[in-house]
Amino acid sequence: MSEYPGVARSPIAPAPPVRVEAGWEVSGSRSDAPLTITDCTPLAKVHLRAPWNGAMAKALGVPFGRAGRDLEGPDGVWLVAGSGPGEWFVFAPPGTAGLAGGWLGTLAADSAPEEFVSVVDLTHGRALMRITGPDAAELLARLCGADLHDDMAPDGAALRSAVAGVATDIIRDDRAGVPSYLLHCERSSGQYLFGALVSAGESLGIGVDGFRLPGI
Amino acid sequence: MRLGPQPGEEIDREQAFTFRWNGAAVPAYAGDTIASALAASGRRVFSRSYKYHRPRGLLTASYHDPGCFFQVGDEPNVRGAHRLAEPDMDVRSQNTWPSLGFDAKAVNQLAGRFLGPGFYYKTFIRPQRLWPLYERVLQRFVHAGQVSADTPRIAVDKRYAHPDVLVAGGGPAGMAAAVAAARAGTRVMLVEEEHRLGGHLRWGAAADLAALAELRALVAATPGIEVHTNAVVAGRYDGNWTAVVLRGLPGGTEQLIKARAKVLVVAPGLIERPYVFGGNDVPGVMLATAVRRLIRLHAVKPGQRAVVLTANAGGDAAIADLREAGVEVARVLDARAGEDIVRVHGHGAGQHRGVRGVQAADGATIECDLLVTATGWTAPAALLSMAGDQPAYDPRAARFFPRQLPENVLATGGIAGDGSHEELIAHAEAVGREAARRAARLRREWQAAVPTRAPANGNGHARLPADDGEPEAIPELPVDAHPELFRASTHGIVDFCEDVSSKDIISAVKEGYDSIELAKRYTTATMGPTQGKIELVNAIAAAAEATGRSIAETGTTTWRPPYAPVTLGALAGRPLEPVRYSSMQPWHEAHGARPLIAGAWIRPDHYGDPAAEVRNVRSRVGIIDVTPIGKLDLRGPDVPRLLNLVYVNKWSKLGIGRVRYGVMCTEDGVVFDDGVTGRLGPEHYLMSTTSSGAATVWEWLENVLQTMHQDWAVHITPVTTAYASMNVAGPASRDLLLRVTEGVDLANEAFGYMEVRTGRIAGVDGCVLWRIGFTGELSYELHVPAGYGLHVWETLMDRGADLGIEPFGVEAQRILRLEKGHLIVGQDTDGLTRGFSAGLDWAIKLDKDDFLGKPELAWQHEQNGTSGARLVGLQPDDGSLVPPEASQIVDGPRIAGRVTSSRMSPTLGRSICLAQVEAALAAPGTQVIVRLPGGRLIGARVTDHLAHVDPEGSRMRV
Repeated sequence: MSEYPGVARSPIAPAPPVRVEAGWEVSGSRSDAPLTITDCTPLAKVHLRAPWNGAMAKALGVPFGRAGRDLEGPDGVWLVAGSGPGEWFVFAPPGTAGLAGGWLGTLAADSAPEEFVSVVDLTHGRALMRITGPDAAELLARLCGADLHDDMAPDGAALRSAVAGVATDIIRDDRAGVPSYLLHCERSSGQYLFGALVSAGESLGIGVDGFRLPGI
Repeated sequence: MRLGPQPGEEIDREQAFTFRWNGAAVPAYAGDTIASALAASGRRVFSRSYKYHRPRGLLTASYHDPGCFFQVGDEPNVRGAHRLAEPDMDVRSQNTWPSLGFDAKAVNQLAGRFLGPGFYYKTFIRPQRLWPLYERVLQRFVHAGQVSADTPRIAVDKRYAHPDVLVAGGGPAGMAAAVAAARAGTRVMLVEEEHRLGGHLRWGAAADLAALAELRALVAATPGIEVHTNAVVAGRYDGNWTAVVLRGLPGGTEQLIKARAKVLVVAPGLIERPYVFGGNDVPGVMLATAVRRLIRLHAVKPGQRAVVLTANAGGDAAIADLREAGVEVARVLDARAGEDIVRVHGHGAGQHRGVRGVQAADGATIECDLLVTATGWTAPAALLSMAGDQPAYDPRAARFFPRQLPENVLATGGIAGDGSHEELIAHAEAVGREAARRAARLRREWQAAVPTRAPANGNGHARLPADDGEPEAIPELPVDAHPELFRASTHGIVDFCEDVSSKDIISAVKEGYDSIELAKRYTTATMGPTQGKIELVNAIAAAAEATGRSIAETGTTTWRPPYAPVTLGALAGRPLEPVRYSSMQPWHEAHGARPLIAGAWIRPDHYGDPAAEVRNVRSRVGIIDVTPIGKLDLRGPDVPRLLNLVYVNKWSKLGIGRVRYGVMCTEDGVVFDDGVTGRLGPEHYLMSTTSSGAATVWEWLENVLQTMHQDWAVHITPVTTAYASMNVAGPASRDLLLRVTEGVDLANEAFGYMEVRTGRIAGVDGCVLWRIGFTGELSYELHVPAGYGLHVWETLMDRGADLGIEPFGVEAQRILRLEKGHLIVGQDTDGLTRGFSAGLDWAIKLDKDDFLGKPELAWQHEQNGTSGARLVGLQPDDGSLVPPEASQIVDGPRIAGRVTSSRMSPTLGRSICLAQVEAALAAPGTQVIVRLPGGRLIGARVTDHLAHVDPEGSRMRV
């Protein structure tokens, strides 16, 4: 009895047209608005804990408060964010969480055999969205009290704050020089957070742009 | 009367329109305020005073004018001398009946002697039964506009800002400081209360206008200055957290900017102070700045024949402006030479009331229709006071000055001193540069502290420039001498908003309210809409006069935010009410679930018939969405030590694939959460908590690890919503799961009660199956990767159709668990319920070395159950009666317990309860008395077990 697993769904209802990408139900909407928001929940999201200043931390190459794409995973681009002291999130293309988790486990065993390292797949536990555009910081300033100016949160910054009243991780990940932020929160608040960003961005002309592979 | 074009006028004569004033059409130009347009049309009376309903006209012609509060459309309390007129505006006077011209409430003046200060402390008190009548009467006389319930609500997002330097005040000093700070490389926010930058330069002479143009051009040309006009810094809080309110948004709404400024520069200028004398509130008495604004900004001739009382250069300039505008200046009384006035004589009534003459101190009476006073300045020190300063009074200058400011607050402009335009600009520029220097230092400190800054070369965080520069040398500003002029030889109005006179304040002091704080509260002086900006110093002077102390000795009242009125809409902004949904929410909505708001969660309460849902679970199979149940992923070799510490029972020997129920108590032995924890691997556990306790338990565990046992190797990851959780319960639940599960032997012998497995459900890998139950039936709790939650739910519904599967909601679950006698922490326990009072004797292992709450529980145990309450099952004698939860259990006149849970049981066809009762009444079979709301007493019996159905638990172990 091998059952086709069915399609996975984000907590954020996809804007029509709806299609399936990498086993996930996603929005096929396209927007060329100067400010866009994209539901990136299908991305693999792996949570890693290790001593903040140990060998595993060094192997990951990303300190607390920063994010980078320098870690070479088995299948290409990964974004690693130092979300907290001794805490990292690894973002990879959809469907690769198992691969990423295994690879990170091996990395830990090789680089930091004496350290206590844990790897948990939170792909389904986090809602993830990206806002991109020159007014991205202006939009966030309507819902988040953190200072996101370039001198405090430049490209590659990773921080945790409250956005629209929800505990949210924020990663600044500019795209071709255009300000861009990844935001993720625990899954069940995802629809609310996405809606709050769209509402607050209406006066800035925000558009919903659907998810496209590889997405990271 | 409208004058010809004035240099620097702010009206646009190309844009003429009309608006309505109390139903009559009034012409206006773009750039007119409502009040300037009314004045240009010859009107002199704009309102009635608060208590006595005396006719009032323009006094300051600014935002703070106390005679210009209007109803504009459905917006009350509009500052008519600030709000710009717009085409077709509907403007009405407030709190006048039947009209502004003839206001019947002016009868209050006849009762004046009974309406003295503090009259409401002496009247409208007894008899108490008349309070509702008093309230209705007083409401009739409240001086406020009206808000329609139909006014559409426009939510405006608040905004957070992080300027390096926030400059409060856009006059010449503010502009110069902002430019200097921005040129020094800092981000500047410049906030100005009026519609345009410029301050007093706007109504100045040619040199002032030239300076104004130059400064405005500099501000516009200097990058890094965010300018907000028609905005106000409403409050300054700790750490320079400031509230900036933007006014005049579409629809009359306001927006709140929450600005965390590194340095605040206060440059509010000075506010002209009225003079107190007999008749000082008669329409036609104006301040010098008022006539200069009217003439210069709005091209309005304020009168025909004027008398001017002047004590400073502002008054002298007003004289020149009046003459230039064609107003006959009949007499100049120079206070610097000792001249003074006694009183103003008015004539006419209602809307025709106005000045007809002035009695000078030398005995002369001068006919006129306009009296202009220029008798002093008040420093608007509110923001400085909010920053902790206690301004000092300088009798030489007759005003207050800043005394000691914190490191992150600076002051410039008139509030700091006097001097020529060049001296003031030089001071402001130096302040701006110093503000920038201090802000830059703070920025460096904050950058050094945050881990988010850009790395230098990938090997660590950027090196920041070293500290810099010497403090800027800020020149001293001279302080001009000014006569102390507060009150003439007669009494007059001190607080125009509150109708409080100098006589009232002196009376209050004589009644014993002899401090300025007491006098303020007793008389309400400075408590009206102007909040002391134009009346505070005169009030202090009156109090000083009455007590014989100096003004410096009398001191000031405390300025508190907000500095200016703020709409509730601005404070509220867009409502942010986080809401949480499970993956199956779309299915619930599509199938008629009645929503239950449980904290931030929306859950299905029932699908139409909770009793039927209960019966279906007992006889066939039901499914419930239990995603909100807290779930924590625990990993590490020391997890058992953590579990042993936080739970009251033992965990060291929990095998892989086994589940145990656990109860957590706080240090005082009080039950605060419960749940099951299963062991998935050698160092991998999954803990469940109550839905409402998910975050609390996580904090609790992290507190243990971070403060008590930093040496324990345990990682906790919240996975509450990483899994969509559903409970499949009922005699047919195994049959259903057999159809969809792979990789797990579901036979009872292989997968028994209180065990856990991982496997594939409906083709989805990584699912966790728990053989547990809250309902008392054979049941499985399924944790599915949340993205597949809806797919698995729909598959179960489809595959279980012939087995009679139906969804059940929270209400049915509550009934089912009550039938089974399972307690709910927080429902059947409260903040005082310790472990042995909750029927948990079997779980509490006092022979463990230690656990949180052990000492208190050991003490409780020593009492041998004779103290405290006990949790018992209860059945009312009349099974058709369902006592409301929290009904008291009484023993004679005493309260001996309460009903904690109560429902009609569909399974038994009778009411069932759980209750907390005193130990002496807790024995099975004991008859107790339940007192229903309303007082009726009914009998009930303590049952043998907490469970009313299947107490042996055989149904869930099949």
